[in-house]
Amino acid sequence: MDEDYDVIVLGTGLTECILSGLLSVEGKKVLHIDRQDHYGGESASLNLTQLYAKFKPSKKPDPKLGRDRDWCVDLIPKFLMSKGELTNILVHTDVTRYIEFKQIFGSYVYRSGRIAKVPANEIEAIKSSLMGIFEKRRMKRFLEFMASYKEEDIQTHQGLDLDQNTMDDVFYKFGLETGTKDFIGHSMALYSNDDYLTKPARESFDRIMLYLQSVARYGRSPYIYPLYGLGELPQGFARLSAIYGGTYMLDTPIDEILYDEAGKFTGVKSGNGVARAPIVIGDPTYFPEKVNKTGQKVIRAMCILDHPIPAAPDVDSLQIIIPQSQVDRKNDIYIAFVGSSHNVCAKGYYLAIVSTIIETDRPHIELEPAMKLLGSTVDVLMGISELYEPKSDGTNDNVFISKSYDASSHFETTTDDVKDIYFRVTGQPLVLKKREPIEEEDR
Amino acid sequence: MSSRKKTLLKVIILGDSGVGKTSLMQQFVNNKFSHQYKATIGADFLTKEMLIEDKNVTIQLWDTAGQERFQSLGVAFYRGADCCVLVYDVTNSKSFENLSSWKDEFLIQANVKNPDNFPFVILGNKIDLEENKRAITTKKALSLCESLGNIPYFETSAKENVNIEVAFDIVARNALQQELENDAEFNEDYSDAINIHINGEQSGCAC
Repeated sequence: MDEDYDVIVLGTGLTECILSGLLSVEGKKVLHIDRQDHYGGESASLNLTQLYAKFKPSKKPDPKLGRDRDWCVDLIPKFLMSKGELTNILVHTDVTRYIEFKQIFGSYVYRSGRIAKVPANEIEAIKSSLMGIFEKRRMKRFLEFMASYKEEDIQTHQGLDLDQNTMDDVFYKFGLETGTKDFIGHSMALYSNDDYLTKPARESFDRIMLYLQSVARYGRSPYIYPLYGLGELPQGFARLSAIYGGTYMLDTPIDEILYDEAGKFTGVKSGNGVARAPIVIGDPTYFPEKVNKTGQKVIRAMCILDHPIPAAPDVDSLQIIIPQSQVDRKNDIYIAFVGSSHNVCAKGYYLAIVSTIIETDRPHIELEPAMKLLGSTVDVLMGISELYEPKSDGTNDNVFISKSYDASSHFETTTDDVKDIYFRVTGQPLVLKKREPIEEEDR
Repeated sequence: MSSRKKTLLKVIILGDSGVGKTSLMQQFVNNKFSHQYKATIGADFLTKEMLIEDKNVTIQLWDTAGQERFQSLGVAFYRGADCCVLVYDVTNSKSFENLSSWKDEFLIQANVKNPDNFPFVILGNKIDLEENKRAITTKKALSLCESLGNIPYFETSAKENVNIEVAFDIVARNALQQELENDAEFNEDYSDAINIHINGEQSGCAC
């Protein structure tokens, strides 16, 4: 530990591990420390003992749930968009060689007390129970517009200017009903509230496009998910970093963060050891005095089930979005549902993680509409997370802090944060290159 | 057995830093030895095709990538191993004393179905060094291997390629047997894992 490094990284959450991996591949000498004895920080997947110790310390897990390590319960419920940026980073860095992925079977949206599959192409739109016969035609025209749109060919713009017109204008142009707007905006563009309607349509357009392309890739849903849970992701990137010389120290408390007179970062102290580096990257928990609360709090309820979702009995994994307007809220409620076919729990069990941004002082009541969809539960473990963001961009003190993992259902905001930190640390935009084979390693 | 997975055997090599884990892999797979000690940079996993009892198998040797130095190997590293090779340096008694901790650590992390029957192989490496440097006698090593459950034991030199082939032959045989037993037990499982490299490889596809 008593050495000089180019970068010290604190916390082994996904954001930190991706950065560690990318910087090590570029030849930076990285020291990566976590105070906990396992990888993943706030984005870890926990086994049963770890899970109960964190959320229900007074209770021991029921022995009938089987072996401790058959369980990998995600602390942050998210899925990967199969054409999203995280997939792109995984492929370019070859971290895919350590992790196997499976599709998430379906993407569903809640409407009037029931759930229905989100139509992802013209054919599904025609079959969907979400729309009446005339609305289906309008939806089909909208999807055709999306599919044929070319930036350079003004003919395909159908008179719309994505930078001038709002998304509401676009919906109006195709005559779409409120309910249809709802599932396009919330379950395809994946906005958790309605603010997007009055903003220029460009971002919504891009998000819907990402959704459609992601579905087109494997067919069932836009989502993929790693076998053994999301905790595999930080570990894969940590291995990448280690292979390129990164030093890993888990279970290592940070006793002091060292600064010079000007307040610039110089190193960290742990026990009798001091490690020095000009730059530190870390998650908010390592720098409580350098982060602000965003004001948002997320409630996440990890529900252990011994049956699939009653309304979709043949589906081993899915996402359900409950749009805010359906349940008289400001923010959507998400359900991420996976089971033993994704190796995250013992055979015969399933995990449903329900999450939303808290709006009242009785947050567990806010989850009611989702809990009703789940049916009976074996146990429910709940946690509330305050979301933090750094006070400054790190240029003054060379302390580069990641944001808390937000309530969104995918990783696009996480990879935005990775790219943003990468730019601030290196002064260069992140350009993904194919990982060069080193020595004689063989696929 | 799913056709996608053919017979790929995952073998992980554990032991203290500096006992020669990477050198053993390199000698076995590439017939190479480097005098330079670098705390394992660049090695990921090495693969070698072998013929075991008329069966073609691919043995995939996973390097610790230096993450063992501060006991920071994550649970993902251990997953799905078919055999675990424990290595110590015959001139370093500390590395010998740590063997049983490495075995315990493996069994805790890897979540194997039958811990009592899981195949280990122990290697005492660096027998090329002068006799007077030797800290652990063969007798002492054999007695430990017996007490840990009759684990096969070989004394090796990665530098001079002594006993490497014969040791890894046993590793591969035991790994194959483990894989077959596991498959028999879980033949109802099918893996429809996806290949996320499809499309992604076609560079310039701006769809």
